[in-house]
Amino acid sequence: MAQKHETWGWMLAVDFFFAGMGGGMLVIAGLSDLFLGVGMTSVLGNLLGPCFVGLGACLLVLELGRPFQSWRVFMNPKAILTFGAWNMLFAIGSGFIYTSFGIGALPWSNSIPVREFFAVTNVIFGMIVATYPGVLLARHKSRPFWTGTGIMGLFLISSLVTGGAAHMISQYVYGAISSIVSSWGIVDASSSAVLRGLPFFVAGLLALQLILWIGYVWIKHSGSTKRETIAAERWISGNYAMPFKGGFLLLGTFLPLVLVLIPGDLMKGLGALLVILGGLIMRLLVVYSGQDRTWLPGEQKYRSRLPLGHEAFLKAWNSK
Amino acid sequence: MARYAMVIDTRSCIGCHSCTVACRVHNNLPVDMIYNPVTTVGPTGVYPNLHMAHIPLLCMHCEQTPCVNSCPTGASQRREDGIVWIEESKCVGCKTCVMVCPYGARVSNHEKGTVQKCDFCFDRVDKGSIPRCVQSCHQKARIFGDLDDETSEVFKLVNGEHAVRLLDDLGTEPYVFYIYGLEG
Repeated sequence: MAQKHETWGWMLAVDFFFAGMGGGMLVIAGLSDLFLGVGMTSVLGNLLGPCFVGLGACLLVLELGRPFQSWRVFMNPKAILTFGAWNMLFAIGSGFIYTSFGIGALPWSNSIPVREFFAVTNVIFGMIVATYPGVLLARHKSRPFWTGTGIMGLFLISSLVTGGAAHMISQYVYGAISSIVSSWGIVDASSSAVLRGLPFFVAGLLALQLILWIGYVWIKHSGSTKRETIAAERWISGNYAMPFKGGFLLLGTFLPLVLVLIPGDLMKGLGALLVILGGLIMRLLVVYSGQDRTWLPGEQKYRSRLPLGHEAFLKAWNSK
Repeated sequence: MARYAMVIDTRSCIGCHSCTVACRVHNNLPVDMIYNPVTTVGPTGVYPNLHMAHIPLLCMHCEQTPCVNSCPTGASQRREDGIVWIEESKCVGCKTCVMVCPYGARVSNHEKGTVQKCDFCFDRVDKGSIPRCVQSCHQKARIFGDLDDETSEVFKLVNGEHAVRLLDDLGTEPYVFYIYGLEG
């Protein structure tokens, strides 16, 4: 067998990452438009938001055992996954339509009420997409590291901070290629107050993320049940300690917190890239920590004895 | 309407794994899939007071079903008689039910791309028979029946013995009960 514990794979973690980042980008674009006006975020950033959500959705489909039956996930309105799937769909649609208002060559680009309507839908669906993976995991009562409301806040903050970082990078990239699409009448956001303020927004969220993550692991470690303590020990001194402390906290949170505050596009851009890397590491660690289930009597010993790496034999045997 | 339940008397179970084998044969499972493993606790204690227990595990056919509630396709279902089952044609293999089940009772079939589990052999139960694992247990450690029937053995055991539910604090209200001996 390929694994001793049934768990979701890396594709779902990367889905959570891209969908969260895209959702965060939609929220930032929508709020900036509603409170500060048009052209506060780059059109490339507005476009990448729904693209990232769509990329996440594609990975979600590939993670399924029967990808060609993926339409069935829209069928049970009571299920959180169905709720998430519909919201991803709405977020993608809303994001693309909102982006089109930034292209002056399109006839509807001057329709302010319609643009603002889609800015509102961007915020609503983006917020849900950014938060829902956390809600999904928080409902797993038997997964001690996930259960509880704390994980929802951590996912929301990570989505917003990676979304902010992605908007920063989008603006730098768009600045480099803007001459190519100059005839499209694209709204110029290069002097936007939001883009100038994004590094401070990202730095603030990174500081919050640092504090909340340390607090979350500490609370889990000194938590209400022994199984939560055991799960948290993996992050403090177990096999997740190095990627968590070195990869996520230091490289993906603390270092970019310093870098985005240093003047100069190079440092800010590097900091933004590290923020995105940190968001990816966090999703992978959280999803893989789901293999820590609340064990039944004797189950750990039983699972530790299951054979691994016999896939070729099993496949040949089963096909007999 | 019946409410099916199973009582497992760990005092009688000797860990022979007959139930595991019978289940796999009946359900024609691939080699790497098991619906009802038997775990071993112990030996515990100090000689000469040593204890060991074998715990057969399976789907608990819960009253509060996180698996059914979380299934995005509606493939996971619960019958009126309490049996939780999967309509395979609707399952897309998202593994949400696998992750949300506190009892690790669901397994992925990597060849079919779906998730499968114990269904109390409802094909047999509907014909008035008993699940294959119950039939194969020569120690009579597994007792199956209608918990709503006051004359049934499961009713008497659940209400007369100290039958417990696994992970009862999670609120899933499983309908598989365990009777422990000295080790419990």
